[in-house]
Amino acid sequence: MSDGFMLLNHNLFWPLLIGCLVLLGFFVWKEWHQKGQSRFWIKIAVACIGLTSLFLLILKPATPKDTTTGKAIVLTEGYRAEQLDSLKKVFKRIKSEEYVSGKSLSIIEDVDSLFLLGHGVPLYDFWQLEGKSVQFLGGEAISGWTQIHHTDELELGEELKVQAQYQNPQKEYWAVLKDNGGNPLDSVQFEEGEEQLVQFTVQPKASGHFVYQLEEKNAEGALVSSEPIPFIVEDREPLHILILNTFPTFESKYLKNYLAEKGHQVLVRSQLTKNKYKFEYFNRDTQPIYQLSKQALEAFDLLVFDVESYQNLGRSASTVLKESMAENGLGVFIQPSGNLFTLSKNQLPIGFDADFNTDISLGNPPQSLQKYPFAFQQEFPLQPIKMDSTTIAAYLPQGKGKMGTSLLQNTYQLVLDGKPDSYAAIWTEILDALVPQFEKSASWEMVTDIPRVDEPANFWVHSSTNPLEVEIEASSKLPLLQDVPIPSRWKGVQYPRKKGWNQLQIPADSTSQFSYFVFGKNERTTVSQQNVYEQNQRYFGQGKSSNAQVSATSKKMEPISPLWFFVPFLLSMGWLWLEPKL
Amino acid sequence: MEQLQHFKSRWQRFQYVECVLYAVGFGGLVYLLTKNLGFGLVGFMVAFGIALVLNKPWKIKTESVIAFVDAHVPEAGFSSGLLTLPTDQLSNLSLLQRHRVASRLKDLMPKLMPPHHLQKAALVMFGFILIGVLGRYVLGDFSSLSSKKGNNKEQIQFAPLDSIQEGIEIPELTETKITVAYPSYTGIPSLNTSNPNIKAVEGTQITWNLTFDGEVQEVIMDRMGELIPFSKNGEQYQLSQPLQSSGFYSFTFKDLEDNAYLTDLYSLEVTPDNPPMIEITDLNQYSYFEYNDDKTIPLNTQIFDDYGVNDAFIVATVSKGSGESVKFREETLQFDGSISKGNKQQRLKKLLDLSQLKMDPGDELYFYVEAQDNKTPTPNIARSETYFAVIRDTVTDEFAVEGNLGVDLMPDYFRSQRQLIIDTEKLIQEQPDISEYDFKFRSNELGFDQKSLRLKYGQFMGDETELQDAPGQVSAVEEETHTDEDGEEKDILDGYSHKHDSENEHNLVVEHPEKDEEEEEDPLHEYLHNHSDPEESTLFEKSLKAQLRDALNIMWDAELYLRLYQPEKSLPYQYQALEIIQEIKNSARIYVHRIGFDPPPIKEETRLTGDIENIKNVDKNESFEYEMTFAATRKMVARLETLINGNSQFTKSDNTLVLEAGNELAQKAVSEPVKYLKVLQGLRDLEKTTNRTKEMYVQVQKNILSVLPKVESNPGKGARSLDEINLLYLKELGDYE
Repeated sequence: MSDGFMLLNHNLFWPLLIGCLVLLGFFVWKEWHQKGQSRFWIKIAVACIGLTSLFLLILKPATPKDTTTGKAIVLTEGYRAEQLDSLKKVFKRIKSEEYVSGKSLSIIEDVDSLFLLGHGVPLYDFWQLEGKSVQFLGGEAISGWTQIHHTDELELGEELKVQAQYQNPQKEYWAVLKDNGGNPLDSVQFEEGEEQLVQFTVQPKASGHFVYQLEEKNAEGALVSSEPIPFIVEDREPLHILILNTFPTFESKYLKNYLAEKGHQVLVRSQLTKNKYKFEYFNRDTQPIYQLSKQALEAFDLLVFDVESYQNLGRSASTVLKESMAENGLGVFIQPSGNLFTLSKNQLPIGFDADFNTDISLGNPPQSLQKYPFAFQQEFPLQPIKMDSTTIAAYLPQGKGKMGTSLLQNTYQLVLDGKPDSYAAIWTEILDALVPQFEKSASWEMVTDIPRVDEPANFWVHSSTNPLEVEIEASSKLPLLQDVPIPSRWKGVQYPRKKGWNQLQIPADSTSQFSYFVFGKNERTTVSQQNVYEQNQRYFGQGKSSNAQVSATSKKMEPISPLWFFVPFLLSMGWLWLEPKL
Repeated sequence: MEQLQHFKSRWQRFQYVECVLYAVGFGGLVYLLTKNLGFGLVGFMVAFGIALVLNKPWKIKTESVIAFVDAHVPEAGFSSGLLTLPTDQLSNLSLLQRHRVASRLKDLMPKLMPPHHLQKAALVMFGFILIGVLGRYVLGDFSSLSSKKGNNKEQIQFAPLDSIQEGIEIPELTETKITVAYPSYTGIPSLNTSNPNIKAVEGTQITWNLTFDGEVQEVIMDRMGELIPFSKNGEQYQLSQPLQSSGFYSFTFKDLEDNAYLTDLYSLEVTPDNPPMIEITDLNQYSYFEYNDDKTIPLNTQIFDDYGVNDAFIVATVSKGSGESVKFREETLQFDGSISKGNKQQRLKKLLDLSQLKMDPGDELYFYVEAQDNKTPTPNIARSETYFAVIRDTVTDEFAVEGNLGVDLMPDYFRSQRQLIIDTEKLIQEQPDISEYDFKFRSNELGFDQKSLRLKYGQFMGDETELQDAPGQVSAVEEETHTDEDGEEKDILDGYSHKHDSENEHNLVVEHPEKDEEEEEDPLHEYLHNHSDPEESTLFEKSLKAQLRDALNIMWDAELYLRLYQPEKSLPYQYQALEIIQEIKNSARIYVHRIGFDPPPIKEETRLTGDIENIKNVDKNESFEYEMTFAATRKMVARLETLINGNSQFTKSDNTLVLEAGNELAQKAVSEPVKYLKVLQGLRDLEKTTNRTKEMYVQVQKNILSVLPKVESNPGKGARSLDEINLLYLKELGDYE
């Protein structure tokens, strides 16, 4: 019984044994008169066989067997029929069920080992497979867009970058990026190969919530597939800039003219002589600044110094400057001059190396520009500001703020040469990197890659408000879960109801609306397949056979068919009945 | 009985189905031909009705069922009628028969088919549909042709600007006649059209004739903001405008109730009348001839113009001489044979004979072909490239001009007085060593020099002189190179000596033609306005004139003694003259000095005290109105996106936005009307309430996006959020330093 043999009704063993022995005794007694004849012994033997059969019939002996009852196949999207067939050949009568999102799997209840075929089960349904031994076998190769990444939030004037990967591209097919009006913006032709990477960079022309389309077209130009690229473009606010110069320079003059014309509030203070200044106010009220105080600096986003005024800062002014940068996020730009490169690290924590290059080439068509013969020392916190992958400036994070300088010399020459666009491009690049951003009272983060209707969309909210409430489109409240290590972080789950843009907001704060895009059923299918596949692979591990322990438990005790016992019983009883009549 | 009833209803059903088949066939035919489901449905209904009336399936009576059954089922024994009768009215025999028939019919009836024409009906239905499909193909081809035509023949359509009250009769435009009268020179006959999008040659006169059905207050044409009223001409409204520039226009009219109606925007496109194109074949840009060559140039030219060439000729310029003395002569030559005016293509010939043009060796000929088209009032003129023909000269002469000709003249004259003194002193010194003749000759020479000098200064004074041509001689002298100052002085003096006369003779020998011209030019011209009139001499002030006069008088004395061979007596006068001249020179210097910088007086008491208390800060305040390019249009794009998503309704503020966007785009549109027409049209359409549909929004947005330029670079402040983790990270970065 021990080596893989057991009785299913083993608790009946003793009463049954006794009963059988009694019955055998009765038979022996009944036939005792024939004792000595060979018939007697035959009868006894037959009775023994019959009784044993009966005995076993009731006790149901079982043997361990590779059974299929403990295993099942879960079929998900994209499974291969041949794989299923070969599995079914190995495990006869194995049950299989197709996974449907939103329905719980019914076969899971009485199995503990599963074969997962296809691309896998979405993350939010992993709980159904919890505690089971799952063998993820994968499915058909995915062909189509497997990855689409793009900027989801940008400011007007910034570029939208779209990066996408196409698996198993068809030759001569096209990827076309179209704007929300349907005007084609850019296109890439597929090449032969396993995967195709496409990258688009376009500049949206207006602010708002937009959905561009990434279309796939065949060689004839017919639409094959279309994927939405949703993003939000925000407007920008003009800057408040303070320029402090010890003497007027052309560089400052052109910079201030450029900024003033672009609607920024600029205050220029150039020193005339000791304690006498020339103040120029552009687009702002006439409020002079003599001393740098934290209060005065609060009104500014950016402070532009020439090297001399930076050097001549007093100790208190220096402290104020540092604090303003660290706490208020003030940006500081130091206009380079020859003296800049002689400053000690104490004075300016940016290091330079001489590179003896006095020319730099920028833009398309390339345009030569004067530069100081130095390069930035690439130390860790220093962040380069690049244009066309050439470093033109760099900044150092200082708390919330930044302090930076550039290597360019006489950029105003560009304006004189009739290239104001290049001038604008350079200074936009530099200043954008330095100016602080508004601080939103709440920040949102959609964790779910591809939110869909009636599927959970997980998101994080960061907000100092406590307790925090979130509303779904100003109607119903959404419960949130506060993060333990970071108390300002809250987690929520929303089941979006409609396709397209959906909103979440904090009722107490009207500015903190969060828009996220909900994809339709036929959108991003291949991307989510790929995602699901990768998640499943990570979670279950591909091709790893279910471990030994699982195999053991799956050897189920199968009762030996009662027919084996019933037939001898019937035969023996029949013999016992027939024998006297012969 | 029951079986009979069943059969009857089956029969009826068959009839109904038949009707339906006919009706479907006919309805399908109508639908396919009209492509209108409504018409199809109506056709179906009508056909169904007719079929029902004809077939009357509800009128099938039990009697006819009985007759049919009796006729077709022998087992019924012509007694199926018994089944309909109530049992109590029947005799026993009848009852028996009835029972018999009923039991037989029970099995047979379900198999019995009622009389029907289903096959026929189905055939008719398919026939109809087939005809419909064929008809659709035929009509489809035809209508696609006609719709193409229809595009061309777009009609002017008015739509009310605002939703108007019910019951008001809208005046309707019954007839549009646009007459496009091309300028007569184009030779294109005037065109009558109803298509309001007009493309025509510049200068075309366009006349719009609009006839309305109903009373209309006024009709106005809005041409890019310029409002031009129509004149009423009987029943018609008429407006005539010359086509000068591309643009858009639309019409508005007001009915008697002051409701305004607006048309779409239509384009006016000017195709310019291009200037003629001149092609000269087989001719090198430069041709060179030796003096003994056959100096002819065959000129073959082809001239094309879009509406006709009016005139063509050759403009030939002959240049003679070289350098400063070059002379030009321009001639207009006609081609051989006359020009057939108004032809679009002309092939013209001319054999240019250089000797006929009186060209000598060394002369050059520049020529080009000029052609005019028949455009009125001002024809377009085109000219070909210039071609050159040169007859090589047998000799070349070098001609050089010194760089500093004439500029330094005046100081030289002044200096010569000093030179005279030096020479006189030298003469006195050398007197014992030289012969008397020599002495007298040199003294006389000096006297002549003195005279020349006097005359020179006299010229400044505007005196008549014997040596009218002195300046020219001076310039001739100046041609020679002078190495040092003394040499230069000598040269000038030589110029006034006897030698000069011979030199003048020499000049005559060379006889450069340009010399003649040059001599007319006075190098002092710039200094002296008019030498002959003393009153107009403005070079010197009054006192200076007096001084100069004194100097001249003294020079007379100096010359006198020199001529008398008494140089030592002449010397004091010479010194005196030099002194006065020196003074005059200095006065000229002061004059120059006077126009210089005049510094403000310095307050000595505050100088160098370092007191800047009274110096004030300089304040400068300026404001710039900055708006992003196409700001309203960009807003419009975002607004349309929300409208497309159905998140909001078109409001009044949207109307102003549409208007602003339209204005922004219109400025751009003037240069490229066709590109912007769609956009502007779309925006205008949004002004009409009926057009505010999602499709329209999408269309307008697409068009706007296609013409919007890029956002210009401008730094700005965006929004971001910093959570605690990021802050901690930034802080760590700071600590890292």
